[in-house]
Amino acid sequence: MIKFEHVGLRYGVGPEVLSDVNFSLEPGSFHFLNGPSGAGKTSLMSLMYLGRKSTRGRVTMFGQSINDMPQEGLAKLRQKIGVVFQEFRLLPHLSAFDNVALPLRIIGTPEREIMSNVNELLEWVGLGDYKQSLPLTLSGGQQQRIAVARAVIARPKLLLADEPTGNLDDEMGFRLMNLFEQLNTMGTTIVIATHSQAIMEKFGHPRMMLGHGHLNIEDPKKNWLQRTMDGVF
Amino acid sequence: MALLAFQHDKKLGVADNSARYDLPLHNSAGSGFLLLLVALMSFLAMMTMTGAFAMHGVTSMWSSGLENQATIEIPARMSDGELRDKNELSALRDKLNGFLADQSYIESYEVMSREAVADLVSPWLGDDVNTAELPLPVLISVKLEDSSADILYRIRQNIRKYADDIRLDTHESWLSDILRLAGSLQFSAVIVTLIIGATTVIAIAGAVRSRMAEFRGDIELLHLMGASSTYISSQFQRHSVILSFKGSIIGIITGALALGLFSILSPSGAESLVPALHLGLFEWIILLLIPVAACLIAHITAKITVLRTLSELPL
Repeated sequence: MIKFEHVGLRYGVGPEVLSDVNFSLEPGSFHFLNGPSGAGKTSLMSLMYLGRKSTRGRVTMFGQSINDMPQEGLAKLRQKIGVVFQEFRLLPHLSAFDNVALPLRIIGTPEREIMSNVNELLEWVGLGDYKQSLPLTLSGGQQQRIAVARAVIARPKLLLADEPTGNLDDEMGFRLMNLFEQLNTMGTTIVIATHSQAIMEKFGHPRMMLGHGHLNIEDPKKNWLQRTMDGVF
Repeated sequence: MALLAFQHDKKLGVADNSARYDLPLHNSAGSGFLLLLVALMSFLAMMTMTGAFAMHGVTSMWSSGLENQATIEIPARMSDGELRDKNELSALRDKLNGFLADQSYIESYEVMSREAVADLVSPWLGDDVNTAELPLPVLISVKLEDSSADILYRIRQNIRKYADDIRLDTHESWLSDILRLAGSLQFSAVIVTLIIGATTVIAIAGAVRSRMAEFRGDIELLHLMGASSTYISSQFQRHSVILSFKGSIIGIITGALALGLFSILSPSGAESLVPALHLGLFEWIILLLIPVAACLIAHITAKITVLRTLSELPL
């Protein structure tokens, strides 16, 4: 699904914010991305959602190298990716409904289908009464739910979420995490950048630990098994 | 009043259900400027093209009116400066009359009366000059079957047998100058129309580029959601075409009103050197195609500008 080989990223002539990052994510996997502030989580996410190109190394997405891919090819790949941005990035002049409908309109879904799917999802995230509301009139939590709904509406093959529960209360946070779990069981590969230890512990998925520009993947389940085995033998 | 305020409050923060674009192009301040500019350009194009059509009408009238026409002149004053005797003038006129009547290549001719000749010169002399004693030439208006060089040469040779200074004027010299001038004016009209088109292209391209800069963040977001460059450019194309259509309709309606006014104020009548402004069906069709041309220019310009600008983005 995603393969990074010796990937580095720097902005302008500054130091590398990511250096020699290597990892591979299998289709249908679920990972948390964790690390201290400024470790490069958002930069790594931007490479994964094809928001920028790496300054070195090789990035392969959906089996295709994106290093020399033309723009139209990248657009097709991006249609398979759903993104929840940390700062939401909703279009302020569009209603909640139109914001959520945007990915479907881009891929040319018939309007009748858009109506039913978007209405259903907005009801599910508790925004059924705010379909025509403009984002700026909604609270941070409501905007975040619109951003999540927009990311998942087109059933992406890969979902990338940057702090998707940061502005939500615990109940809504866990509810959205359950939505991500549900999508994951349907085959969507998921990477969630989060600082929340509670969420990471509750759901127990492997963690991509980013620090000083380098990445390590830790699997708490494997670690627990290892610890148990060590105790037994 | 309270009800009105309530209705207004209800609309605050609610989308108006008329969002036709993913990008807020219809809310952009530059839209009004582009509309006005296209309206002005369409108006100017209409005026310029009408001028070219009118010039074409004038040249057609002049050239068709004088085609195969010639004038034979027996000057009132001889080449040595002496006035020609009235009897001699009459005799020469009768001889020419006889000669012209026998020529098969002459369709018709008319010896102009002294009064008619006096009328021709009266605009230069004024109404209060007594033309009775004025030495006036004899003019014979001739309509030829064919005004080939051979026939004109034969006529010149024959009329000189009666007097060396009898002239045959085929109007070629001054008509060709005027036709050349008219041709230059028509060419200038074409150039001006092209400049108007080029200015429209530059204005639309500039407006599109400035909007792309204004909504760069939103365009980037659409890109990240998988929108192709064609999808994004189609939004700009639609917006530019709608604005250009509105602007050009305003322009040609204003132009039509101006032409109507000009038509009322312009001189008319058979004696006028300039014909009354009259546009035929073909000319009207061409003028009514200005909005189509404006839309086409807007569509192509917006598409090329957006695709080129997007291709310059890093991803």
